[in-house]
Amino acid sequence: MAVLSVATNAAEALMLGLATGPVCLASCGPVVLPWALIQPQGLRTHARQMSIFLGARLAGYLVFASLLWLAGALVARTWSERSWIFGAVQVLLAVGLLIYAAGWPHAHCVVARTHPSRLVQIAEPGPQPHPAGALTLGFLTGINLCPPFLAAGVRAAQLPSLPAAWFFFTLFFAGTAVWFIPFLSLGLVRRTPSFLTVARMVAVLLACWYGFTGASLLIEKAIYG
Amino acid sequence: MRTRWLTVLAYMGAAISLIVAASTPFVLLGAFANAVATTGVHVDAVYSGGAIARTVIRDGYQIDVNHPVHPHALQDVDPFVQIAFRPASSLPRHVKDEVDLDGDGQADVRVSFTVPSDPNARLAGEVIALNAKYRSFRTPGSEPSFSELIARSGDTVLVRVPLNEPH
Amino acid sequence: MASAAIPRPRRRPPPFRTVSRSLLLTSPIALWALLMFTPVFRSPGRNAHLGAVVVILFMTTLFFLMMRTGKTYRWRRCFFVALGFLFPVGFIASLIHLRGSMSLSLEHMLGGDTPFCHMVIPMALIPAALTRTVIFPGSILPTATNPHSIAIMLGLWLAFTLVLGKAWCSYACFFGGIEEGFAAMPKHIRIRKIDPRLRLVPWALLIAVAVLSAALFEPVYCRWLCPFKTVTEFQRVTSVQTAMQMAIFVSLFIGLVVVLPFLTKKRTQCGFFCPFGAFQSLFNRINLFEIRFDRDKCVDCTLCRTSCPTMALSAESIREGRTLLNCMKCGACVDSCKKNAAVWHLKGTPVAVKPERARLLFLYGAWGLATMLGGSILENSLATLIGFLPLR
Repeated sequence: MAVLSVATNAAEALMLGLATGPVCLASCGPVVLPWALIQPQGLRTHARQMSIFLGARLAGYLVFASLLWLAGALVARTWSERSWIFGAVQVLLAVGLLIYAAGWPHAHCVVARTHPSRLVQIAEPGPQPHPAGALTLGFLTGINLCPPFLAAGVRAAQLPSLPAAWFFFTLFFAGTAVWFIPFLSLGLVRRTPSFLTVARMVAVLLACWYGFTGASLLIEKAIYG
Repeated sequence: MRTRWLTVLAYMGAAISLIVAASTPFVLLGAFANAVATTGVHVDAVYSGGAIARTVIRDGYQIDVNHPVHPHALQDVDPFVQIAFRPASSLPRHVKDEVDLDGDGQADVRVSFTVPSDPNARLAGEVIALNAKYRSFRTPGSEPSFSELIARSGDTVLVRVPLNEPH
Repeated sequence: MASAAIPRPRRRPPPFRTVSRSLLLTSPIALWALLMFTPVFRSPGRNAHLGAVVVILFMTTLFFLMMRTGKTYRWRRCFFVALGFLFPVGFIASLIHLRGSMSLSLEHMLGGDTPFCHMVIPMALIPAALTRTVIFPGSILPTATNPHSIAIMLGLWLAFTLVLGKAWCSYACFFGGIEEGFAAMPKHIRIRKIDPRLRLVPWALLIAVAVLSAALFEPVYCRWLCPFKTVTEFQRVTSVQTAMQMAIFVSLFIGLVVVLPFLTKKRTQCGFFCPFGAFQSLFNRINLFEIRFDRDKCVDCTLCRTSCPTMALSAESIREGRTLLNCMKCGACVDSCKKNAAVWHLKGTPVAVKPERARLLFLYGAWGLATMLGGSILENSLATLIGFLPLR
């Protein structure tokens, strides 16, 4: 009976993740895209970096879920204070993207790899980009309280224990992560200096969007409460 | 030999381009428009109001109740149900009606508005939710939005009732 | 006794073509123009008839001059600038007639009355592909109040793109002529040094607005960044957000469409900002017509690079005998080249062999479509202007 219950919850979490994945993609895609474009070429390198990104995102999910579980606030789906966190995270994402666009922490790695003779091929593992960017941006997207996250939170709060909620969240995360697989194909695109310039410009533009959205939320919250 | 064949193909392609250009206004444009319509492509329901679920006949006018519209992805619009009073020219000056939005036989909202004689003038009215599923509002009040309005569009008065769902 | 040398007067070079031959080559365009405007002559409206006559003569004369002089750019520019400046006249007049103002209210969006603009196409693709939803408050098929429906405008765009590639930006876009007009005004370039990386901004904007439009399910460029909202329609200013949007539109219009083209003599909005232009560049890959460089004749004088309004030429690309992907096929480089090294070319044929044939084939398609689309816009605007005149 217990096994059946676990299996049911697992299936539910996975299906919820798969169903709400497009919204997750809409929420996090504008961060993942410029980040992925700036990564060096190479399917294996991309897969490694994407794993770090998603791992950090999962860590963000679990850390935040734990905090909310302990505070008992997961039940309040219309939790009014989430705007503060949402706004702040958007601003941090903007800063993260701007720093990434400016070339930290991987400038020397990527620039070296733009030289045709140093381009990383699919089968050949080359020098690895610094994981700090993937970790930071991944974690920030993990604590970005998007609607699917809140929907999973409400369901997870009904489970009997914190480990059960973690298990639910992890499978939910797996369902949403499926939607990020297509980003791996960006690893196949040839990295030329023009391509990287465009990628950095995209990062700046999307950073402007996140910064504006986050700042607007914070200002609106500060004025209207 | 290969150059010659390429040249022939190139000129054939150019000729086809000219034929496409010449037939665009007479044949292609109409055919294309019809083809687009058959694909099922439609204007976003946030703008169009969604598909009609049922029609209620009243004395001199009818009310079209649409299916609920839920936003896509991160669209910044609350879910709503659109109801359309038509024709606007046949509506009484003051309209007050209770409408069943979800088809369960029970009235869900009470709609009241005044129809001005100037078709371009803004409408004033209110929607009172009769259960917790919907949200009440009054207009003119706060900034009109796609999910909360009473407005005239052509010969129809559109009322959009926001659903009381978190978004 | 040696006689002093008398300087001979400089002779004007002979025309490219004889008058009779030019007229012969122009006749299909004249017939086409008559055919295009026959429905106008059949319907009542003296102003529309007058407008149609002017447009037929205008388009036919310009094409004749293209044939007679062998030049393309300056005559095309006459049409394009006229289109850019006159389009807002007719458009604004029709908005005021239908709605009473230029501003777009929620009510008009609900009625599907918003005319579809080609700039929306790259933003609408992903949502349409995934959900068959068009993120634009228009109507799929033409209606009494909105003849510029989504399907019709999409069809026009497709026809132009298949035939001309990015030449849409030189023969169809009813916005680009405004900045081309301002770029043509000064005699001298005031800002010469332009960072070539600015050519990449449209691509970045294209990716960013496409992604954001798919995420937010709204046409982000139209809501926040389109400079031409200033001279067409814009959402009614009723809040801080709409006021900010209006400020952005006006600033971008003044900067990118008026001031910078005046200072640089370049089409700065088109070449360094417009994401639709970047999207349209992709179709240059499959389009048959292009401009190439005969390396045997080229002397690297860089006149072509200076004359190009969108910096679609680089030293490297000319060495390879090509333009960059963002070439609008306006003909400026071909007309400026004194060595006839820059030539019109039909892909698949040898370069610089019968380039005039390639030019003719291109121009018949381009001018035919321009007469159809741009010509009808000009006729409508002229009819509106004539309506303001105190004629009996």
